[in-house]
Amino acid sequence: MKWATRRGVHIDRAACAWLIRRRVDTGAEFVFVDDPAQVPGDATPFDMRGVELSHHGGDCTFETILRRYDLADPVLWKLAEIVHEADIEDDRFDAPEAAGLDVVLRGLSMVCDDEQVLEVTGPLFDGLYEYFRRGMLLGREPA
Amino acid sequence: MSGTAGQWVLLAYRIPRQPSTPRITIWRKLDRLGVARLGDGLVALPADARTREQLEWIAEEIGEAGGSSTLWLAAAASLSQEQDVAEEMRRARAVEYRAVVEQARAAADGRPGERARTVKRLQAELRKIGRRDFFPPAERETARLAVQALNALIEEGAS
Repeated sequence: MKWATRRGVHIDRAACAWLIRRRVDTGAEFVFVDDPAQVPGDATPFDMRGVELSHHGGDCTFETILRRYDLADPVLWKLAEIVHEADIEDDRFDAPEAAGLDVVLRGLSMVCDDEQVLEVTGPLFDGLYEYFRRGMLLGREPA
Repeated sequence: MSGTAGQWVLLAYRIPRQPSTPRITIWRKLDRLGVARLGDGLVALPADARTREQLEWIAEEIGEAGGSSTLWLAAAASLSQEQDVAEEMRRARAVEYRAVVEQARAAADGRPGERARTVKRLQAELRKIGRRDFFPPAERETARLAVQALNALIEEGAS
């Protein structure tokens, strides 16, 4: 399937692309557009104003996708807290990792194009997922 | 600031008075972003990719709350007008930095046990103010030094 989002990918869009590839559509292809009008007819838009898979009721798009596709995995919801704070910074969650992740993504977007950002952040989010998965199993910070 | 007025992103909005909860939530979000209030239902931030996106999301939320809004990219017609707006934003941040300085000094005079927690809190507060500080006032450095001094006091006590 084709998925479309705004050019100039930052934390929420990078995390959503990862989530879509890992949990919704393994063959996902991503298109980056400047304007909602440029979204191809066969693509599902996300993290754009006025579309279903976007910010809603104070949620960021990552949270919206988790809800929309009934992804109840608590590790994903833990990642959602970090993505939410890195993206919206509204202090809804206590996520000290957010500030660092935000800077990493901002820096990446200065030296990589959108395709490269998704390529680099794939293993990054895989790693974060594994870290929090082990943490939940252990009930403490994993080594 | 350079000789020409910069790009700003403006959000013109209207939100129903009732229910008041979404209205207050949106107000708080705008405050957290450090917007300049240009008038009733009109706020502004210096335009960059981040500020524009943040105001776009708030615009979306205003729509969901039953309100309406438009987002604009604009430049002040004269440099002095822009400087007035910037000065107002600078003063608003200065007030926040001064509050940090006062709390840091009060903690230095207070119980040693409380200091470590206060340092952490004030460091986080400084980061937050920094995110919405587009025209840094002199108080920024004063606040940074005050928190640093408090931290040094803790390390002295520990050694």
